[in-house]
Amino acid sequence: MERDYIISWKVAGISLGLLLILATALVKPLGVSTQFVVSDAAIAHKVAPAFAESNTYLAKYGEKESWGVGYGWMLVLGMFVGGGVAAAIFRKRQPEQDKGSLPPMWQGRFGDSMSKRYGAAFLGGVALLFGARLAGGCTSGHMISGIPQLAISSFIFAATAFGAAILAAKFIYRSGAEN
Amino acid sequence: MMTLIIGFLIGCAFGAILYLGGATSYRRILGTLRLKDMWIIKLMGTAIGVGALGIALLDLGGWANMSVKPTYVWGVAIGGLIFGVGWAVSGFCPGTCVVGAAEGKKDALATLLGGLVGALIFSLVYPYLEGLINTANFGKLTLDSAIGINSIWLALAIFVAFIAMTFFILKDKYE
Repeated sequence: MERDYIISWKVAGISLGLLLILATALVKPLGVSTQFVVSDAAIAHKVAPAFAESNTYLAKYGEKESWGVGYGWMLVLGMFVGGGVAAAIFRKRQPEQDKGSLPPMWQGRFGDSMSKRYGAAFLGGVALLFGARLAGGCTSGHMISGIPQLAISSFIFAATAFGAAILAAKFIYRSGAEN
Repeated sequence: MMTLIIGFLIGCAFGAILYLGGATSYRRILGTLRLKDMWIIKLMGTAIGVGALGIALLDLGGWANMSVKPTYVWGVAIGGLIFGVGWAVSGFCPGTCVVGAAEGKKDALATLLGGLVGALIFSLVYPYLEGLINTANFGKLTLDSAIGINSIWLALAIFVAFIAMTFFILKDKYE
């Protein structure tokens, strides 16, 4: 069978675990979803400072001078740069079905419409970050960093997020469309 | 300043691992959520197992900079449910949509923009949700403090269980 990955889940999983240990030793564990609020707060402080100050949640993030750009925000910026550089170098070895903005599995179920795919991706993103902010973290902060710290909240998040995601995926592909 | 550079470098490695490991792949994410291709859960489970043991050892030496999230049961559970639906609908999570966007995937960029809107909506309704967040809030509760077993033993158990699960138990199911 043709190799359908760049590095295996074993290599990626062990590297990610070691990176988490390194981050925890040097500064703090990994986390992403807070930075969406930090970015919102930075934009809000720029375009509507009065609103940003009056909103209790936004006011907690993104100071006027520093814009809340700290370790966490630099980490997410690094993800963009590191992911982009890795993609530029290894694109040739990336499996064909993992390239592009219209995944074959999605296409098999919903057809060729790009607006349908982008619309679902956008709305999914809205739910993703609303849920993550309500729960206080996402896959990286709650699951990958939270469970190793034995945080009860992270066990609850992992169970509810995976539970809902598995049911939703089952519902979306209820007709059994294949890739 | 040093902290910012370390954050950036750790982020670079994080983003590269997610891309190279196929975590930005819709096929892998939805394959895992449809319980057919276990790739993503095996990747995450391995990272969690290794991380649990390493962090517990760091903690023994007093070198771990912990960041435990508070257990406000209802907010975490309802947030998890909403997050899960968004995960299955978009095929990304907040981290992988950033990497996917860097890779040039426009659907990942749509998720990233949706995420900025979702976080903004949350800040707008936050005052109405504070009650929910403050109900059944047990603070930064950890499993070891809750059941009174030393964290190193629990971490060892998680390491063994997760590595056994990812390396030996979980099997991909293709038709």
